[in-house]
Amino acid sequence: MPPNVSPGLRDSLVAQIGSLRAFAVSLCGDRERADDLVQETLFKAWNHLDSFKEGTNLKAWLFTILRNTYFSERRKRKREVEDTDGSYAARLSSRPEQYGHMDMKDFQAALAQLPDDQREALILVGAAGFSYEEAAEISDCAVGTIKSRVNRARTRLGQMLELGEPEDDATGGPPPAVKSA
Amino acid sequence: MKRDDKKKAPRGMTVDARKSADGQAGPRAGKPEHESDDGMSPALQAHIGRHIRAIFDEVAQEPVPDHLLQLLKDLDQSGEK
Repeated sequence: MPPNVSPGLRDSLVAQIGSLRAFAVSLCGDRERADDLVQETLFKAWNHLDSFKEGTNLKAWLFTILRNTYFSERRKRKREVEDTDGSYAARLSSRPEQYGHMDMKDFQAALAQLPDDQREALILVGAAGFSYEEAAEISDCAVGTIKSRVNRARTRLGQMLELGEPEDDATGGPPPAVKSA
Repeated sequence: MKRDDKKKAPRGMTVDARKSADGQAGPRAGKPEHESDDGMSPALQAHIGRHIRAIFDEVAQEPVPDHLLQLLKDLDQSGEK
């Protein structure tokens, strides 16, 4: 049974739905799945509202529930089908082909190629407005880990988007163009 | 006669990409590149920041879908009974 939810808390919950959806979409790259995630998050949150301390960071609490839901579901899937990093990218229709001419689609495709944990860290800190400390709490890891994930995410995006060809570090990028024989 | 003037106006980035290839030696030619601790220029870092925020904000600012609001309403009512 849910606790007696104060109207104020319910309103705060509603006020976070937009951010939650944004987090879910940028995390999984799939709007439909994102809305399922948000729905599940709200459901869980509602049923565990008594474990939320009013006055603490509701947004961080909700984000934690959402990412835990996402990652546990993803682990489950991974066990069923060997699911490499490419699966997320493959769901997106376009892949970055001209990194120099980056538009939003290219960026999204590049973002999709990041490992989950790096993408998550970058979204939390770079878009959702969390501090490194908050992001570390949400992801249940050390602050230093978040920092290095964000750095690696940026570096890798930078390589994909600016350099075009990952010449010295070909991990995960497209095949380098053959210059000459 | 103006035909497709408007259609042709692409985003700034696309135009600039060609220009810089013709006219400049490289990105921000002549300017010393300040690199952050992860070896990335602040300009590129800002660029990445803008894009990730744009993706996020676009969704965040959409109206909340009715089925999610309805879910909360339903949960609320089931709690009162």
